[in-house]
Amino acid sequence: MTDFLRLLFNSLETGSVYALAALGIVLIFRTSRTTNFAQGLIGTFNAYIAAFLMLRFGFGIWTVALAALVTAFITGIVIDTLIIRPAAKVSPISKQIITLGIIMVLIGILPWFFGVDSMTLPRFIPTEYSLTIFGANLRYNTIFVIVLSTLLMGAMFWFIQFTKWGLATRVTASDETTSKLMGVPTKTVTMVSWATAAMLGTLAALFVAPRVSVYANMLLTVQISAFFAGTLGGFSTFFGPVVGAFIISFARNFTQFYISDIWGNVLVYTSILVFLYFKPYGIFGKKPTKKV
Amino acid sequence: MSKPILVLDNVCMYFGGLKAVDNLSFTVNEGEIVGLIGPNGAGKTTVFNCITQFYKEYTGDIYFINNDVKKDLRDIKVTEIINQGLVRTFQNVELIPDLSILDNLLIGAHNQYETGIISHILRTKKAREEEQVLKEKAYEILKFLNIFELKDFYVKGQPYGVMKKIEIARTLMSNPKMIILDEPAAGLNDRETDELENLIYEIKKKFNTTILLIEHDMGFVMNICDRIVAINFGKFLAMDTPKNIQKNKDVQEAYLGSDA
Amino acid sequence: MKILNQIENFFGTLSKRLTKHPIVPFLIFGFVIASIGFLPHTGFIRWGTMGIYAYIVIFTVVAMGLNLLLGFSGLISLGTAGFVGAGALGLGVFMNMGIPFEIAALLVLIIAGSIGALIGLFSLKVEGIYLAIATLFVGEILRQIYTQVEIFGGQAIRIGTVRFLGFINLSMINQTQRSFLFLIITILMVLMMIIMHNIVKSKTGRALMAISRSQHAAQAMGISLLKYRLTAFILATLFATFGGIMYGLYFQNVPTTAWTLDLSLFVIAMVVVGGLKSIYGTFLGVFIIHGVPNLWLKNVFGDISYIFSGILIILVIIFYPYGFIYIWYDLKKIYFKYKARWSKKKVTDHE
Repeated sequence: MTDFLRLLFNSLETGSVYALAALGIVLIFRTSRTTNFAQGLIGTFNAYIAAFLMLRFGFGIWTVALAALVTAFITGIVIDTLIIRPAAKVSPISKQIITLGIIMVLIGILPWFFGVDSMTLPRFIPTEYSLTIFGANLRYNTIFVIVLSTLLMGAMFWFIQFTKWGLATRVTASDETTSKLMGVPTKTVTMVSWATAAMLGTLAALFVAPRVSVYANMLLTVQISAFFAGTLGGFSTFFGPVVGAFIISFARNFTQFYISDIWGNVLVYTSILVFLYFKPYGIFGKKPTKKV
Repeated sequence: MSKPILVLDNVCMYFGGLKAVDNLSFTVNEGEIVGLIGPNGAGKTTVFNCITQFYKEYTGDIYFINNDVKKDLRDIKVTEIINQGLVRTFQNVELIPDLSILDNLLIGAHNQYETGIISHILRTKKAREEEQVLKEKAYEILKFLNIFELKDFYVKGQPYGVMKKIEIARTLMSNPKMIILDEPAAGLNDRETDELENLIYEIKKKFNTTILLIEHDMGFVMNICDRIVAINFGKFLAMDTPKNIQKNKDVQEAYLGSDA
Repeated sequence: MKILNQIENFFGTLSKRLTKHPIVPFLIFGFVIASIGFLPHTGFIRWGTMGIYAYIVIFTVVAMGLNLLLGFSGLISLGTAGFVGAGALGLGVFMNMGIPFEIAALLVLIIAGSIGALIGLFSLKVEGIYLAIATLFVGEILRQIYTQVEIFGGQAIRIGTVRFLGFINLSMINQTQRSFLFLIITILMVLMMIIMHNIVKSKTGRALMAISRSQHAAQAMGISLLKYRLTAFILATLFATFGGIMYGLYFQNVPTTAWTLDLSLFVIAMVVVGGLKSIYGTFLGVFIIHGVPNLWLKNVFGDISYIFSGILIILVIIFYPYGFIYIWYDLKKIYFKYKARWSKKKVTDHE
């Protein structure tokens, strides 16, 4: 029971982080038609900023987190304006490689701006505040991460589903050219999407940072899992990837604990591949129609 | 005595609740040029897609009779239709833009290669000779269509009229018994349309093929076709010579609306 | 006189046939590259940089395989690194079992090719970004296996001296032998270039393009989707694995942790930046992505060199979306423009 609860809390926390990252990836995939491999590193970059501010000026975690979200917003806008927009006519595959270019630029910038020493970020709520349920330790910080992520995602769904800007996002996602002709400000939508995605990535980085310290590849697993989550849930909806994120997080934690540390991942990945063979567009995805 | 080559027997095709083709039956005879006409959305292209097995979910039967062998096309995979001597073009020109015109024609001869990938990698004598023979054949066809000088250019950037010709040329590479043309004159100017008219006659004579075509240009259809099938909302209206079709009440009504 | 004429004719047609023969440029290219392997003896380049050149030669083969997928078949693979790793590590595992080099290489190719065939089958059902990420799954599964299964030796696997053709001992440590190793991998690269050339100029290459450009036309022309999807993925994995075998052959010490998504992305970058559908473009891409930063930028800028590589990739893609090799056409255009202007001027001068 104790192990089970511990795994449950842990899975919910990592699932929330994966879901945040996955949402960012889907948002950009839908509005810019590219798989953003730099999602993780954009988040990491802003987590560096937070850690650096804390180290240099001694600000608290809440202050630096807020600052990092602001810089994330700016990073997103800068990337969209300077790089993505000039490359609007490039093929989707080439665009993916552009995001690889962004990764390299950021990797080059990190040691230059912040030095090579590793930095750390604390949890939002210190570790000593925790409850014990049936022998399993549950940190308040874990609850905070889960609740905040859920609230944020809920707010985002509401925004996308029920507001004018949400509608603009959805129509841009489904057909950019027509939307532009209908007077939807697709440029602004794309720009805000990049900014939002950067903020989601940064949040994921801030949540992960206390567990692994701040370093360039800290979000690698999160990012790959987020891609997997998008595929499993289906890229054509916004909530599919969130569901996918939790499934992957649960499956991974439980198989690793109950089956094998080495083969847990392999097993989960293989089952998802088999699943995809029968549902090629994910759990919630729909097959696009084509005309002969 | 004319022999049937293509027989449609009570063909129906549904998309969800929509009847795209409704109990359609007609027969095309060997050596004929037959036009399939109908107002927009009448289900003409759907008929073509059923014949060439892009859609398999139709009910009824479609037979193809080649050298007195009658085959139910439903039993044949879409990629093997061309081996029966039945080949088609598409409404929106479907060519490979970043291959030369010559290479596009060679795609039409894809199934005539006997050598496999290993011989191609090793460039064996047999493979080179085979390639040469098919290239010569492509040259013949390109000369016949008056586009031989363009053979090494990419398809991308060619005028629409040339692209239409390349698509027809590609069908000829497969030694077809019957060619199905989906709107061959669409997008062509008057001079090009006239040229196409002659070309289709010549193809029929020189390559000894049967031709079934969809076309909206009524002048073109009336001039060129031996017989015309008219359909509306997927339903058979009439099949007759161009003259009689023009007089047919049902057809007039479908195109112009009823007087009442 | 008559005999002389005949001789002249003979050599004339011979040289004509030689210059027209499609493999001649590849041989010349290979000769130039192979000579790099002997430069360190003369002191022109340092022994230390030879590894970089070898890496370029090896990854040209890997990237050519991906070009078959990306450029010709319009498919993407994010699992390339896994297959390069399969080639290099698999070779090591088999050779440490005492299997001779050639047979070990063949075994690895067969195993990797079968996985490639499975992906090909998979690609009939799954497409677009879903297929791309499915290949990432395969890459991640392979990576997990390499780093965590014991037979791969934990951090790295040592192959040690390779006995080539059963009697030639080749070791990375000995400098003369290293030059010879470089010569061998260059020959292998040229061989793969010729194979690639022959494939893409044959009906296979045309069929791959037909399927990606217009699936309907391909089907109507009798091109089987199943057969050519399998062909595309099998070829791409074989090229990647072959590159891996070359890696094992040359470096003889294979890390288990190097075969990550990042490396797969770099291989894609090599193809996109160098030139889609171009064999020399692929080489150029590998040179830009791996050669330029490691040979020059790192010496000058240190870690910041990543920024320059990143900017380079972004700029090339924005300005040459089909690959940097196509700058050649622009240069040609400029040349002819100036040539025309110059000859015009000459004519007017005469008047």
